[in-house]
Amino acid sequence: MSLAAEAFVSQIAAAEPWPENAALYQPLKDDQILLSDHASSLAVQAYLRMCNLPVQVACRANAEYMSPSGKVPFIHIGNQVVSELGPIVQFIKAKGHSLSDGLGEVQKAEMKAYMELVNNMLLTAELYIQWCDENTAKEITRPRFSSPYTWPLNHVLAYQKQWEVRRKMKAIGWAGKTLDQVYEDVSQCCQALSQRLGTQPYFFNKQPTELDALVFGHLFTILTTQLTSDELGEKVKNYSNLLSFCRRIEQNYFEDHDKDSITSSTSHLSKGSSLM
Amino acid sequence: MRKKMSAPSELYCWKGERGLPSVDPDCLTVLAYAKFAGAPLKVHKIANPWRSPTGSLPALKTSEDGSLSQPHKIIIHLRKQKYNADYDLSAKEGADTLAFISLLEEKLLPALIYAFWVDSKNYVEVTRRWYAENIPFPLNFYLPTRMHSHALDRLRLVRGDSGLEPGDEAEKELYRDAYECMTLLSQRLGTQKFFFGDFPSSLDAYVFGQLAPLLKVKLPNCKLQQHLKSLDNLCHYCSHILDLYFQNEASDGPARKAPTPREDGSDFDNEPHKRRNQFLSVLVALGAMVGYAFLTGIVSIQRSDPHNALHGRRAPQLAGDEVDDEDGE
Repeated sequence: MSLAAEAFVSQIAAAEPWPENAALYQPLKDDQILLSDHASSLAVQAYLRMCNLPVQVACRANAEYMSPSGKVPFIHIGNQVVSELGPIVQFIKAKGHSLSDGLGEVQKAEMKAYMELVNNMLLTAELYIQWCDENTAKEITRPRFSSPYTWPLNHVLAYQKQWEVRRKMKAIGWAGKTLDQVYEDVSQCCQALSQRLGTQPYFFNKQPTELDALVFGHLFTILTTQLTSDELGEKVKNYSNLLSFCRRIEQNYFEDHDKDSITSSTSHLSKGSSLM
Repeated sequence: MRKKMSAPSELYCWKGERGLPSVDPDCLTVLAYAKFAGAPLKVHKIANPWRSPTGSLPALKTSEDGSLSQPHKIIIHLRKQKYNADYDLSAKEGADTLAFISLLEEKLLPALIYAFWVDSKNYVEVTRRWYAENIPFPLNFYLPTRMHSHALDRLRLVRGDSGLEPGDEAEKELYRDAYECMTLLSQRLGTQKFFFGDFPSSLDAYVFGQLAPLLKVKLPNCKLQQHLKSLDNLCHYCSHILDLYFQNEASDGPARKAPTPREDGSDFDNEPHKRRNQFLSVLVALGAMVGYAFLTGIVSIQRSDPHNALHGRRAPQLAGDEVDDEDGE
């Protein structure tokens, strides 16, 4: 969005209160959604719950195409559509809800940096494992991604998406990495997060922020998703404070609302149910 | 820190200009890290990426592990050789390093690539001109354009926007992210000398690598530069690193920076190539003209036999006799 359009949108956003029928769109929960998309969607859901804003999760097979930026999830509020966590946080801030207002400037800088760390390393690693590792791509990703479509569209779309992701990996220099190196990067990223978290309940002590929502979305999805090998989950399990962090957020924000929304989404992706 | 004694590795990187040790951000990062960690490297400053051992710059040629190309890998290699600028960092600072490097790569680097390679005015007047002047013939016709399309592709893929054209919309968004990133860096740096206290670390190398070209290279169309100049602590930080670690490069800078009074000087610098190019071009021009003359018959060389030469010599005499005869009668 251009600067002028964005200013306009935030003005309109500020004018209206949060509607009751806000909806979050993501791909189909059981059959279609992939690891990376589920992580992003869960992060947004976690953030909304932390802000105490109600939203209904709607699953559509063409969610990716409906989204204004091509990425899921996106939320539909009133007559506006906003996609991806960053713009959604801005949008919600314009409506007067923010989790990071109490932070100092240096802390805000650190928060933004760590969010980029998660996007840069964890999300890219997830994409790599899904689409560039031939085993996973063949057994899990391609069948899931193309499940709502009939032949031959399913093959066409799956290969097209795979080609696109592989080109992106090449452009950012990840194409030359082996799977082990990617796991190593995930481990480093988790180590950094674990060190930053330390023994605190949330990253910035008492209150959760968008960083907590993002980290929760990714780590919880990694822990509860069954891939061709368990190595990704094992890398995260090495850090006990991250495990208790995920459990804490799940307990505080997801269990006293309906339990179905989160456990049913993961039970089809994995053999086990929740973290417990 | 025990330092391993072995043959120094060789680093190939783009050469520099105007006080910068190198014009490429990745090369600057590696050079800065090597200085910070005290790694003895033999540095080759070249302008032809095809002469580097991996085909791209920067490249580190090591005695045992072959050649490495990305700055990330080069720094890891140097660390393994016990040249570690992050030795004194705490665990949390190490985590912060990783986070801020990601911030740089996601928010600032795309805007830098845009400013140097995609923005039409900057690209044509500064970037392409510099590369075309410095890359040897005949690559200078081909490489800058290829690097340009590479940069454009990369930006398009990273932003997921297949319709990215150099224009206001994209520029505003990219620059807005970059302004925010630079402001955040400035806030994190505060009044410290380096990001983690009094000694530089790998994060300083990355930040320096990206900000220094922005500070030193004069771009005609650059709001990014203006924003950077408004952040005093970052400007001082870059100048400080340049003065402290790249002193000899900085002293070469003024010689190249003022071309008019020192024009002879710069000519002498480039002299071997320039003379040779001039000579070659004159030769080619002469050869073309002479060849054309021969082909169209303006000039022709007739091969003459000794036989014909004699006849040729006699012929005017005969003509002369005839004339005499005519006159006589």
